[in-house]
Amino acid sequence: MRRLFLLVLISLGFFSGCSKKESLLTFAVGGAPNEVDYWEKLIGEFEDKNHIKVKLLRQPTDTDMRRQSLVTPLNAKEKDPDLFLMDVAWIAQFAASGWLLPLDSCIKKDSFDMARLFGSVVHQVDLYKGEVISLPVYIDCGLLYFRKDLLKKYGCSIPETWNDILKCVERIQDEERKNNPNFFGFVWQGAQYEGLVCNFIEFIASNGGNIMDIAGNITVNSNENIQALQFMRDLIHKYQISPPNTFTEMREEEVRTFFENGNALFERNWPYAWKLHNSQGSPVRGKVGIALLPKFDNGRHAASLGGWHIGISWYSDKKDEAWELLKFILSYEIQKKLCLNLSWNPARIDIYDDPEVKERVLHMEVLKKAFESTVSRPNSPYYTQVSEILQRYVNAAISGKIEPNEALKEAQRGIEKIVERYHE
Amino acid sequence: MNREIREAFFFILPLGIFVLLLMLLPVIGSFWISLWQDVSFLPRKFAGLGNYFRLLKDFQFWQSAGFTLIFSFASVTLEMVAGTIIALVLNESFRFRGIMRGITLLPWAIPSVIGARIWQLIYRYDYGLANYVLRGTSGLSVNWLGSSGGAFLSLILADSWRTTPFVAIILLAGLQSVPQGLYEQAKIDGANLFQRFFKVTLPVIKPVVIVALIFRTIDALRVFDVIYVITGGGPGGFTTSISLYSYKYFLLGDFSYGSTVSIFLFIIAFTITILYIRAGRFREAAL
Repeated sequence: MRRLFLLVLISLGFFSGCSKKESLLTFAVGGAPNEVDYWEKLIGEFEDKNHIKVKLLRQPTDTDMRRQSLVTPLNAKEKDPDLFLMDVAWIAQFAASGWLLPLDSCIKKDSFDMARLFGSVVHQVDLYKGEVISLPVYIDCGLLYFRKDLLKKYGCSIPETWNDILKCVERIQDEERKNNPNFFGFVWQGAQYEGLVCNFIEFIASNGGNIMDIAGNITVNSNENIQALQFMRDLIHKYQISPPNTFTEMREEEVRTFFENGNALFERNWPYAWKLHNSQGSPVRGKVGIALLPKFDNGRHAASLGGWHIGISWYSDKKDEAWELLKFILSYEIQKKLCLNLSWNPARIDIYDDPEVKERVLHMEVLKKAFESTVSRPNSPYYTQVSEILQRYVNAAISGKIEPNEALKEAQRGIEKIVERYHE
Repeated sequence: MNREIREAFFFILPLGIFVLLLMLLPVIGSFWISLWQDVSFLPRKFAGLGNYFRLLKDFQFWQSAGFTLIFSFASVTLEMVAGTIIALVLNESFRFRGIMRGITLLPWAIPSVIGARIWQLIYRYDYGLANYVLRGTSGLSVNWLGSSGGAFLSLILADSWRTTPFVAIILLAGLQSVPQGLYEQAKIDGANLFQRFFKVTLPVIKPVVIVALIFRTIDALRVFDVIYVITGGGPGGFTTSISLYSYKYFLLGDFSYGSTVSIFLFIIAFTITILYIRAGRFREAAL
């Protein structure tokens, strides 16, 4: 009997036996493996300088998974992570959920100079109810990567329009396939995930379309959008210049490695790919150029605004230390390092005039131009639900399962329902 | 209460506490959440059965429910048939039987996410093993996960590969409890191989079959990792299972609707389990 009692006690002990550990400042960072490795180095520098111990929470590459590993602890009001990077597209939801610490008092206290950051970006996404709730760490947008050597070999100029792409590829793809049967003209992100929406927005915006108009009406089902979606689908099925696994497997890293292995002429990707394409051992090293994404004949160059912003958790128990780390990350020195080592576009404007950066990063001018043509995704707390619908129907359309006009009609209906359901 | 029963009660108590804390409470908790509007960016308020009405009208949910049922039916059927055959073979005596039994169990010992990752690498279009072999023999490449049918079959294969051994081992245990004398009697009566299986083996191992069916069906209905890794729910949302669907809502910050979907899944699994137990006349067979 006594032994049984003991057993019960022990089993209860399992639930109460949580140990008390010394709490560290926890910083959640994800991304490509080389990026996370680099962060580890930067954090080391911060620790040496400030004598604040930091625990780096390594997150995966996949954006959805990074988000999930933040949503769960934040919704449970966990103290960790104290500080984290957020994709542009989540900030509205995080802010509306009350998970982000307003930074105004910190900014005032340290007279942190906001004018050094890209004002337009801060204004678009980092303000919530008049308060600053996050700050940009780096700014991203979609770019067109191309093979300089192949364009030169076949006498093609850098494409301005989508038609130029078709013309270029028509000549080059067949020739290159003689040596490399796996060669494709153009690779982009078409798998069912957030990246597909970024690609979709670029295609439609380059044809004059959008998802929401200025008045907030849903304008998914428009002729411009149907035409652009049809083109995306044709790239895979009709022109066959994008690989058939575009709509099943192609995410950033798949696209990057595909291009990097010398299997593609054009690539749509974020700026991070530049550094990797030109790293030692890359088969396309020194053969890559970048340009603005093409447009339709009567459209404009459009690049999805991406990038990651940093915020402090409302539930953090180390808010002061977190602010120190945040300032460190946005310092001139670190922003420059991130730019030179990871080819991230700094959120600080002054880096763009740095002589060393200008000398070593040759495409700084193209990037500046690309920033002028960015389009942002709808900025609302329930954007993700909207994105979910778009992902589903756009993916279904480019996979050939349903017609583009049918897909966008359904998407429009689905998004209208969501607005009805979640709009406060 | 006599002493024996009292002691039995104490022996069961730790298990009871575990079941209560780790199984019953989460279910009740999910049900409770499903009665609210619990969206991270909206004010929390009581919603009654509102989420359930929304579920009834949710076309995408019914699509994923349909997929989940068909997936479960197909994969459980395949696993049961293949598992029975493997179990019958392993029950015969032959050289290296012990080693063969060990090898058969290997896929089950691999964590399911890793198993799924292996299959993903097989199905990959550009450098997947399947296309590597195919290119070598015919020069073709197939986008295995690109069509609804292809994705469906690919998932069934990956799922069955991992779980068939589990069925085989459970059935093997059942087979070993069949008295050999019964077979000899049946042989004397002139029963052939199939008659011996359907008239002798199957009735005796029926409780074990039901147990395997219950485990596998519940698992198949909850399928998440295989799909998450291999197709991510695509193409075009066709392979979104109920679990994946509810997960997506958790990700979006709508915890109440995610819970509602989970509760619905719980009800389906619970109902099917009851049906199995009824159909197997479990009570009589076990006694």
